[in-house]
Amino acid sequence: MGILEKLKRRSATESGIRDFCIQTIRFKKFLENARSLLDCFEDGREKFFGEYIFDRHYVVSVIDRVVEQLGMMVYDASVLAPESGEALFAAYDKHKLAAENLIASNGLDMNNRHSNSAAAISDRDDPEYRLLSDALRWFNGKGASDAPADQPTVMDFMKQVFFAVMAALDGPDNAAKQAVIENRGTFAAGKDLYVIDLWKDAHALPKTNRAVSDVRSVPFRHLLMDTGGEKGDAGQHSLKACAWVAAISDDQLSLSTLNPASRFRLETLASGYESSDFIFVFADRSVNLDVLLPEGFHVENSESGRFAWNLDVSAKIIGDSLMVIGRNLFG
Amino acid sequence: MSEQPLKIMVIDDENIVGKRLKPALEKTGNIVETFEDGETALARFAQQPFDIVVTDIRMEKIDGIEILERILDQSQRTKVIIITGYATVEIARDALSKGAFEFIAKPFKPSDLREIIERAAGELRN
Repeated sequence: MGILEKLKRRSATESGIRDFCIQTIRFKKFLENARSLLDCFEDGREKFFGEYIFDRHYVVSVIDRVVEQLGMMVYDASVLAPESGEALFAAYDKHKLAAENLIASNGLDMNNRHSNSAAAISDRDDPEYRLLSDALRWFNGKGASDAPADQPTVMDFMKQVFFAVMAALDGPDNAAKQAVIENRGTFAAGKDLYVIDLWKDAHALPKTNRAVSDVRSVPFRHLLMDTGGEKGDAGQHSLKACAWVAAISDDQLSLSTLNPASRFRLETLASGYESSDFIFVFADRSVNLDVLLPEGFHVENSESGRFAWNLDVSAKIIGDSLMVIGRNLFG
Repeated sequence: MSEQPLKIMVIDDENIVGKRLKPALEKTGNIVETFEDGETALARFAQQPFDIVVTDIRMEKIDGIEILERILDQSQRTKVIIITGYATVEIARDALSKGAFEFIAKPFKPSDLREIIERAAGELRN
């Protein structure tokens, strides 16, 4: 290979790694927006079931916040998965319209009532409470009634958006991820693992392979802390045969497989601020999350895979959870 | 000797607030009257002073700040509690500097307001 060809190849790898870093940082932003959406759902639910005094202005503000956060999520998704952007924005427009109709109905659309009992109606008969109940059903199908929502919920749409992003990030066509494999400098000695430093490698790639012990990321250290001993009991043979990539910073870890046939992704922030720290996991159907994750995760199922998350968690819980997950994945 | 019941006026142009607060505050033996506009409330106050006035800050025609000022002009001993939405906390702080006893942000629980009313009642007794 000529020197020019070598330089070209190096330059392509560098820009691929840079794209990978940008994707990872954007995905974290995407998760933050998803988290804000879940917070909106929870806030509305708490006010509805918690005997709060609220007015129409509050309900409208929650609906507006959901529309705004959903729009930010869709924007992030269109950057991460450009080929899905048009379809996602079209679906988002429908949800915007649903929100406008909801607000215009002012909680007075009696055809839309699905209450379980007369008591439930009489207890929450004010238009503001009905409007919030309708909004909660639109959010995630969980209003005053447990009847199924008669239109796609925001949660359904969030899952659709997630899948579009996951397919783009972890699919075989992601050139940025391929660039990771081509750059041997990021390979971590002793593990089938590529380690990308989010803030350093985007500017200059390492010249020699990394030692895991040199990596300073707190969540990464927790993940591998207990992997030297007994084998984990997860029985994740498909995952154990995988190569991995870990994108790290001091307090962030983004771990995913390099094998599109077994998709697993873990994202965590362990900054020490409970209100912003989290662990998020996505796994396709080939992975049994029940035995892989410790207790305490909220799990959402879908046809293409499972999402699990643990929000507002202490540094200790994050550390302990990562040790269990790491033992099951790499032990 | 049992304490005199408090006379409480609630002013909010959102009907639901008065509707929900009235039974919640009457539970503890208070006498509660609710109003959806400042003019009617002020006219009623001129007829009969109240111990405590709970008023929303953002209303058409007469807002909570004007109600606060006009109530305190008529009765220095009345405690005025301001109800505020998310975006008006700064205005509520301004209300405190103008003599409001306390403010509470919507959405809130009736028990949170009852706590403030108890504190106000304690000051009235002293």
